Amino acid sequence: MQHYLLLIISAALVSNVVLMRFLGLCSFMGVTTRVDTAIGMGAATTFCITVSAMIDWGVEKALLEPYELGYLRTVAFILVIAAAVQFTEAVVRKVSPAMFQMLGIYLPLITTNCAVLGVNLLLVEGKMNFIESTLFALASSLGYSLVMVLFAGLRERIALNEVPRLFAGPPIGFITASLLALAFMGFSGMSTN
Amino acid sequence: MSTPESSTPPESFFPDADGRDMVEGFARVVAISGGKAWAEPEQAPSCGGCHSAGLCSIGKQVGDPSARQMAKRFALPGDLGLAVGERVVVGVRENTLTTGALTAYGLPLVTLLIGGIAGQEIGRADSMAALGAVGGLAVGLLGARIISGILSARGVLTPRFLRRAFEAPPDASCHTEHG
Repeated sequence: MQHYLLLIISAALVSNVVLMRFLGLCSFMGVTTRVDTAIGMGAATTFCITVSAMIDWGVEKALLEPYELGYLRTVAFILVIAAAVQFTEAVVRKVSPAMFQMLGIYLPLITTNCAVLGVNLLLVEGKMNFIESTLFALASSLGYSLVMVLFAGLRERIALNEVPRLFAGPPIGFITASLLALAFMGFSGMSTN
Repeated sequence: MSTPESSTPPESFFPDADGRDMVEGFARVVAISGGKAWAEPEQAPSCGGCHSAGLCSIGKQVGDPSARQMAKRFALPGDLGLAVGERVVVGVRENTLTTGALTAYGLPLVTLLIGGIAGQEIGRADSMAALGAVGGLAVGLLGARIISGILSARGVLTPRFLRRAFEAPPDASCHTEHG
């Protein structure tokens, strides 16, 4: 159990997808103007990363590894991610049309989110079993969501304050992101994974 | 650092009738039937500024009969005097988006994880863990469906009409003389 706990802390905080691995920066800057939209996007991405990681683990173990098709990994994973996003969209539409009205707008954005592909490729490098890879994907995406919500909260506060004209907009956003990254560096050394 | 002027809330931050904050979005009325106005949410293919101003490629999907657009349709009260093609601002309560996201995605993920760990502990094999995870996911999706049904019946998830949106004149353009 301690192994799993360390894996979760390592994936979510120590090696955070956004602030340490610099993945998913587009949505990090684009969808964090409000906390609610950040939560919506974070939850949708978390679901898609976890589901696609499960499928990609199966594809890796059943196809790519046995038949030595490693050179097709990126293409195969992109296909799986696109399929997972479509699956999620169909499921949400079926489960609740009302929720699809609210949350459906975030789903197409996930297909092109490099964090999803990045996490799946990291799983292969880590040579993990099914539960480890699922936990790693879930924890990584929770770390992504946490940073999105934190950053959205900061941007909401910045919007209510006066910012010098030269720094207004993306510049102050990037400065804030760098300070947030420095804060996350405090987690370094907590786990070696 | 905050001044009285700068502490004005952003534009998309209006309280509803109960005094709670709303998350806003744009929609366009596509049909009037059964005493109700049916609207479809607008996507934002261009920049946010153009979107709020109703310029560029906004509104080109009016009446798009695709299944995806149809699934996003929602009803607005018929007594608002809305006409087909009219742009409106709709909103849901701030916590509705969070509740919806946690129900649709959070619950299935939790059950997926529980199923996966249970499969691993019982079967001691990756195949059993995968089977447990898929089973857990199915249970979670079923639970999400039940909860969303309850929320829908209460009308929590349905967007509300807030006000009419700005409609750009036919000759307006998003391109300025500065390029």
